[in-house]
Amino acid sequence: MSNLEKKISLPSEAIEIYKEICLRKKISVKELEKMIKLDRGKLEYFLGYLISNELVERITVVQKKPILTEAGQYAALNQLIERRIVDLLKEKKSTDFDSLSEKIKGDNREMNAGVGFLKKQGILQINQGEISLIDPKVSVSNDLQKILENLSSGKEIEIKDHEKTLVQRNLISLEERKESFVEMKIAYGDISEKIVVSSEISRLSPEMIRNGSWKKAKLREYNLNVSPPDFYAGRKQPYARFLDDVKRKLVSYGFLEMRGPIVELEYWNFDALFQAQDHPAREWSDVYRVANPSKGNLPKEDHVKLVQKAHENGYDTGSKGWRYKWDPMKSARLVLRAQGTSVSARTLVDLPIPSKYFSISRCFRPDPTDATHLSEFNQAEGIVCDPSITFRDLLGILETFAVEISEAPNYLFKPDYYPFTEPSVELSVKDPKIGHIEYGGAGIFRPEVTRPFGIKDPVIAWGLGVDRLFMVKYGITDIRELYSYKLDWLRSARMS
Amino acid sequence: MVSIKASYTKMQEFLGKELSLDELEDLLMFAKTEIDDYVKEEDMLVLDIKTSNRPDLWCAEGMIREIKGILEMEKGIPTYEVKESGFTVKVDSALASTRPYIACAIAKKINLDDFYIKQLMQHSEKIDNSYGRKRKRSSIGMYNLSMLQSPVLYQTAERSHKFIPLGYEKEMTLDKILNEHEKGLEFGQIVKDYGIYPILLSADGMTLSLPPVINSNDVGRITEDTTECLIEVTGTNFETVNVVLNILCQTMADHGADIYSVAIEYPPEIHKKHVITPLLELESITVDLDIIEKYLDVELTVKKAIELMQKRRFECEELENNKVKAIIPPYRKDILHWVDIAEEIVIALDYNKIGPTKWTVLTTGGLLPETESENIVRDILVGAYGIELVTNILTDPDNLTVKVNLDKQELVKIQNPVSQTYSALRNQIFPNLINVISKNTHEPYPQMIFEVGEVVKMDKNDVWTQTNAAFCIADADASFEDAHKRIHQLMKLLNTDYKIESLGHPSFTKGRSGKIIVNSKDCGIIGEIHPNVLEKNQIWVSVVCFEIELPYIPTLECKIKHTS
Repeated sequence: MSNLEKKISLPSEAIEIYKEICLRKKISVKELEKMIKLDRGKLEYFLGYLISNELVERITVVQKKPILTEAGQYAALNQLIERRIVDLLKEKKSTDFDSLSEKIKGDNREMNAGVGFLKKQGILQINQGEISLIDPKVSVSNDLQKILENLSSGKEIEIKDHEKTLVQRNLISLEERKESFVEMKIAYGDISEKIVVSSEISRLSPEMIRNGSWKKAKLREYNLNVSPPDFYAGRKQPYARFLDDVKRKLVSYGFLEMRGPIVELEYWNFDALFQAQDHPAREWSDVYRVANPSKGNLPKEDHVKLVQKAHENGYDTGSKGWRYKWDPMKSARLVLRAQGTSVSARTLVDLPIPSKYFSISRCFRPDPTDATHLSEFNQAEGIVCDPSITFRDLLGILETFAVEISEAPNYLFKPDYYPFTEPSVELSVKDPKIGHIEYGGAGIFRPEVTRPFGIKDPVIAWGLGVDRLFMVKYGITDIRELYSYKLDWLRSARMS
Repeated sequence: MVSIKASYTKMQEFLGKELSLDELEDLLMFAKTEIDDYVKEEDMLVLDIKTSNRPDLWCAEGMIREIKGILEMEKGIPTYEVKESGFTVKVDSALASTRPYIACAIAKKINLDDFYIKQLMQHSEKIDNSYGRKRKRSSIGMYNLSMLQSPVLYQTAERSHKFIPLGYEKEMTLDKILNEHEKGLEFGQIVKDYGIYPILLSADGMTLSLPPVINSNDVGRITEDTTECLIEVTGTNFETVNVVLNILCQTMADHGADIYSVAIEYPPEIHKKHVITPLLELESITVDLDIIEKYLDVELTVKKAIELMQKRRFECEELENNKVKAIIPPYRKDILHWVDIAEEIVIALDYNKIGPTKWTVLTTGGLLPETESENIVRDILVGAYGIELVTNILTDPDNLTVKVNLDKQELVKIQNPVSQTYSALRNQIFPNLINVISKNTHEPYPQMIFEVGEVVKMDKNDVWTQTNAAFCIADADASFEDAHKRIHQLMKLLNTDYKIESLGHPSFTKGRSGKIIVNSKDCGIIGEIHPNVLEKNQIWVSVVCFEIELPYIPTLECKIKHTS
């Protein structure tokens, strides 16, 4: 008996859906869902019948849809940077870079890109710092601007030729959209004679179990090959889960957790760590300062005076110190924690001996954001204090981290520099794909750091680049993904 | 970290040895330097130097100096002959409270080609920028000696004093330079803060420069034809200007130049006596080898210690009782304490050769009660179908205000933001979750997301960090009940009684939102997000959410972290 002669048994709902599909020949599952007024799960269930009987076919179409980035949105509303520059130059004839930058109010990188672009196009010239238009009547092409404005107002438009430029200039990003369609394979009319409404029972009801009627009933067999509807389990964020793992491992090595505030006194972020008050890391370009309030209160304890002495003359350590007049007002300034070591510094007050501590803390630096830099990142930091501890023990601690936490057997110790430790070491790990990667660092706190807190024994300070570790382990190349807003990734990222 | 460009071929030439890139990288490690990039076509190495306190290493010559020590091609402190030049610099007492110090030397037989000039400029710029604190602490100038007459005068000038600044053709007054010249705009504030104008003049009255801003266009221009030059470092710190000069002299001497000294005549208001620079008096530090052995856990004899120090370009003398006197090369001022010498010794030993111990420090580990508490809440919210998020703490203030219908908020703002997008600290989490939902309108609904994370709050007296938990549901059918049943279950599991009181909050719909109260303290909000907020964020489905402040849940142990 040929396939065509076989009767096809379908639930009545599936037949209704089949008819709807045949009316339209091809329809997206989403639209079908709206039309049939069934929830997606049930709809998929019935579609399963139609697909497995080869009455309809499922087609998945992937479309790239341009989405405006923040920069793109801005340009759509306020004109592209090159257009703004040209408009301004038409008005002002010529100007220097700084006043241009002030007028344009873009960030400098964007400005540079705009000026560079115009220079390349032969539209503007720079003479001894003065920027001017070569031809004051020039006009810049309107194409990109129009596209951005159309996108901004929600219009769907073709951008084919300009797609590459727009992506490169970070004005748009392309989002992949998958859409499912079902398409008729055999018309209902051609096969309706062979279709019978199935008399099987689809659902086992509580009554049937109670009154025993299930014994006579025939439960419809399911097609087990159809894919189920989407379902998203609640889950922890993959990077947060990785940090939980790191914490668990550190605890198993006997490390106690510590924490500190995000808005930090410069005292704990720098002074207590023997970073001189004119150290470049304390400049505007390297640390975020708080605007309101701009200052806090220094601790009332004695160590403040001793930290001052450590800076001015080395206190009782035998060090020369930095030999300048230490200013408590600079020390009371508020910054965003720029290094996790500030948490360790706070822990030095009444430090128990022996002790081992760790913290995983959010740190902030005014870096422009790109694939390898964020203005906000996590640092794993800690200290180990014991009368017997030595520099070679410090190497041992780093070795433990390399083997147990980084799971990287090929590591190398390199001399490094931190203002607060001496000697200092970098833990460099050789990755077969990427090459040498700095995974962490450590050093013995300088006595100028520990003595003001009454500590005589060596204190080892260590740090691990947990952001980097996670990226290497999970093959992530863009650090921004760690703090991703993409629900698709958050829902579907693999657990291991 | 300092990044410089160097020539791969020239580095091998200086060293007198051919090295593969890997071999070079292994050796550069001893100068705390890594190869960041190598551009073969340009023969260019991009080198990252990790020390901010060793400006002597910020040039190829400096690194090679270290490597020659490690390879034992040279040992001890490098020396060069310094002859008297007969040249004098007179310092005026009017500079006493501003930029009083100057150190000078003369270099002859300098073999300048275009590449070497660029390298010299690179080294000077790096020193000025970082070690010189953007020229505030020290700045370097170089002049064509053949155009100069002794004595050079370091004094103050009137604002109307004129000269032609480097890169220009016309004379400009000092005021005009500070306000219009690109270097004036960059560094002029230093001079403006002085209230006076420092100037360097040749004996015949010709202007050398306006330190630390700009050289003159003639005598202050170094070209390939310059064979003899005057090097000058001015600054606010005697030690700094001298060490910077020592670094430059050493580097030029390494390059084959002859170095001549210059007499600096200080008035008593500035410095007790006249000084002949470069000032090559050697400083030393006495170290106890017993203490260093214990600190590092290595075995050291006096002989071994001396050998190791010489490898690091120090000299070393034996003293009694297992002590040695380490003599510091004149281009280094980073040695403050014996731990610095301990590091020199252990670098010479090679970290990888001495190797790690199987360390033991027996202590009991543990998570903070705060973390344990947060983990309980996270587990419950995952069980409530929540997808966890980790979002930015530093964010756009608009997201925390106008985007959620709020106007005034007590936000901690940044004085020096890189961009508006990262210029305020979040004081609550739910606005971030709304932002996430607005960026995922193409993803299937329902969307259920949450974050348990830190926020920063402030009042008149204090700033503090605390942990909040927020949960958001976005769906065509989402209603108050979806949030309500979750907070109810959460509170039940946390064994905490709570009340919800109706609240007129601009982010939420009136009559469908309230504040969460525990022990008569407000500790959260719950409700349906106002359609106006949805519209602003281009979210086209209903959103409900709640946020609670964990420190106020009595059964949890989430303490507030005060800043001061």
